[in-house]
Amino acid sequence: MAHPPTANPVAAELWRLFRIWAALLVLGGAEFAASYLPLPRSLRPLVILPGALMVAAVAVGFMEVKRGIVLARTFAVAAMFWLLVLLALGSADPLTRTDYRVPNAQVR
Amino acid sequence: MPRTLVKAGEVEGSYLTDGFTLRSWLLTTDHKRIAILYLASITVFFFIGGLAAALVRLNLIVPQGLLGSAEAYNRLFTMHGVVMVWFFLVPAVPVTLGNFLIPLMLGARDLAFPRLNLFSWYLFMLGGAVTLYALFAGGVDTGWTFYTPLSTMYSKGHVVLAAVGIFISGFSSIATGLNFIVSIHRLRAPGLTWYRMPVFLWSLYSLSVLLVLATPVLAITLLLVALERLFHIGVFDPAIGGDPLLFQHLFWFYSHPAVYMMILPGFGVVSEIIPTFSRKRIFGYKFIVWASVAIAVISFFVWGHHMFVAGTSLYSAVLFSILSYLVAVPSAIKVFNWLGTMHKGYIIFDAPMLYALGFIGLFTIGGLTGLWVAALAADVHLTQTYFIVAHFHYIMVGGMVSAFFGGLHFWWPKITGRMYPEMWARMAALVMFIGFNLTFFPQFILGYLGMPRRYFSYAPEFQVLNVLSSAGATILAAAYLLPLAYLLWSLFYGERAPANPWKATGLEWQTPSPPPTVNFIETPHVTQGPYHYPPPERAQPHG
Amino acid sequence: MASAVHQDFQYSSPSHQAETAIAGMWLFLTTEVLFFGGLILCWIYARHWNQAGFDAGARETKLWIGTLNLGLLISSSFIYTAGIAFIRVGNTRRLIQCCSLTLLLGLAFLGLKFGLEWHDDFAGHLFPASADFKIAGPEGGGARLFFIFYFISTALHGLHMLIGIGLLIWIIRRARREEFSALYHTPVQVVGLYWSFVDIVWLTLYPLIYLVGRG
Repeated sequence: MAHPPTANPVAAELWRLFRIWAALLVLGGAEFAASYLPLPRSLRPLVILPGALMVAAVAVGFMEVKRGIVLARTFAVAAMFWLLVLLALGSADPLTRTDYRVPNAQVR
Repeated sequence: MPRTLVKAGEVEGSYLTDGFTLRSWLLTTDHKRIAILYLASITVFFFIGGLAAALVRLNLIVPQGLLGSAEAYNRLFTMHGVVMVWFFLVPAVPVTLGNFLIPLMLGARDLAFPRLNLFSWYLFMLGGAVTLYALFAGGVDTGWTFYTPLSTMYSKGHVVLAAVGIFISGFSSIATGLNFIVSIHRLRAPGLTWYRMPVFLWSLYSLSVLLVLATPVLAITLLLVALERLFHIGVFDPAIGGDPLLFQHLFWFYSHPAVYMMILPGFGVVSEIIPTFSRKRIFGYKFIVWASVAIAVISFFVWGHHMFVAGTSLYSAVLFSILSYLVAVPSAIKVFNWLGTMHKGYIIFDAPMLYALGFIGLFTIGGLTGLWVAALAADVHLTQTYFIVAHFHYIMVGGMVSAFFGGLHFWWPKITGRMYPEMWARMAALVMFIGFNLTFFPQFILGYLGMPRRYFSYAPEFQVLNVLSSAGATILAAAYLLPLAYLLWSLFYGERAPANPWKATGLEWQTPSPPPTVNFIETPHVTQGPYHYPPPERAQPHG
Repeated sequence: MASAVHQDFQYSSPSHQAETAIAGMWLFLTTEVLFFGGLILCWIYARHWNQAGFDAGARETKLWIGTLNLGLLISSSFIYTAGIAFIRVGNTRRLIQCCSLTLLLGLAFLGLKFGLEWHDDFAGHLFPASADFKIAGPEGGGARLFFIFYFISTALHGLHMLIGIGLLIWIIRRARREEFSALYHTPVQVVGLYWSFVDIVWLTLYPLIYLVGRG
């Protein structure tokens, strides 16, 4: 028969990985371009959004979080959830606190 | 022929006789031996922390402070807090009873990552050595809470060294927690579904979730303190726009779950002792196990209650106060379930049960007083007073240390193959209960009256209560020395234990005392739930 | 022995053990997420309280180095994962080549970051504790805070990269000794998870350091 049994799976897999790599570069470029958007200071952190997609692409495409066992997926989801708890609940105080600023002193 | 109750034909020898060299202990990957290594370590740390406490209480018998120096006093209570929190309370039950029992309760031959387990002990010892060096070579005066800017800028103590020691021990915690979680998910014996696991496993699972999620935040926090102190690059420095409260948020994000790390294993131990000594299945199994999970989850949402007067926004304070009331609910559910288990049971007042009963009462008092201070207005008055000190000692010492001793006695026959002397044990439990209450109940009153904590001297009108508290501390110290003595004695002269001296259910009792290295000759197959005690009319108390 | 499978006594089958090892690494990575998460909370606080100065500091970063490094790390993750694809069919030679290329990309990253970028930062008076810090005046505090975050986060990320490089060398050595095969290559997968995670950390740090402040 014409096709050796092992070559195709590898080639297909490499092609899949290449597409993910290309997507990552495109997203990186989009993120880079987005940083040139004239966003007001307080909305600048939105620039990170394409980066979040890149993280997902690496986790799904390279780390195979969806293909592996359920437990691995559970851990990955937990990581994201608890990171959000830390950042959101941790930000609750500065976002709602009335701060009485003092002028910046020169550092010693 | 040794006087032994192990059945003929069973495996000769146990994990204790499987190698007598130092190498076989220090390079072991057997979870049972690692548990013994840890037990020795935490015993040493317990007495060091206890020594610091003794000196603190000694100082407080006169209003002007017996030791004379505020600096020395600050270093003593810091030593007490640091050693007790990180080198006794957080590790105690998980690394000793947890390491020993988890594979046995799972019907497994070891944990998922045995070499990681051994490595965790070495990390623990290294962290402990560095921290003890810092504490004895002059000490730290910041309290175990390391608040900035005292810790980062003004303290003259060995802050960086202590931070490094605790940082290292944090990795030991993470390794242990990781091992437990993966083992409970992946190494359960055939037929051992989640709802057939003993409550102890659910409690240790919940604890492990806290260990792996919260400890890394402590790690980065200590690192930031050390970097600010060493290189003057500080995110907490207000002079350049940094926020000292950021330290407190990061610190308490770990440290509030940390207090639940300390108590959850205690819940697990009590949940094993009560059914056994009531000869009755646990009441409301699903409620208890999901309560452990709920406590673990909600514990991450309440840390701001340590910062009510620190200057955070009122809105976040209100949010944290409400969430703190929420976290009390699953704990209360557990207390009701334990009581429900005992109701119409056949109660046996052996030493483990005495400790468990003490736990229920003292933990409840501690927990209820937590509700008082979770109320914003009340906390304004009570915070940083002895009320808080009494609150957490009722939970940690009255609760957790009682549970630790209860568990140690309960599983002592399994771990060592020997019975401890029952009358001495019951006496020690009673002395501990009396000494504990005499030490800490006066502190509730002191706090209510306004005596601040962490002060080496106090107003003269508080002296009587302080002297009562210090007197209680001496009784408590004696009560802790008793088990040290008779447990060591039992190793050589105690009656040899059968496989199941308490006629308890659970896989760990189906293997000899002490177990062979491989735990089970054949993999057990589990066909029924835990606590399958016969109905009370047919209960068979142990002989 | 190339086809030797690994099953320690507490596991029921080699695949049981392999899957458990991978799950264990994912759990470890979860702890790392929380570790770096604390640092991100610092970024949030520092920028919230000192927006102008913080962004003024951010504009001093070397955008081209950061972006080039982003490309290098993304590519290194791709190459390493390709190596896993090869060992899945037993091709050890290609695995070693991929790991070696990954190693080179990692070293290039470190060279650019610490050899070039940090060097330029120090030379340009951007170390936040120095008395002659480049930005003075009302934006000075915020700029210092930015560079505190910058140096600490890149140092920690670099440390993780160093560990990753050590792990790569370990994998290459084991592969050279024919220890991996189509049936057994769990360490390769586990190290791959770690390496991709270090990539993810950079994906997160890159916009926080190089992009948000530039506006």
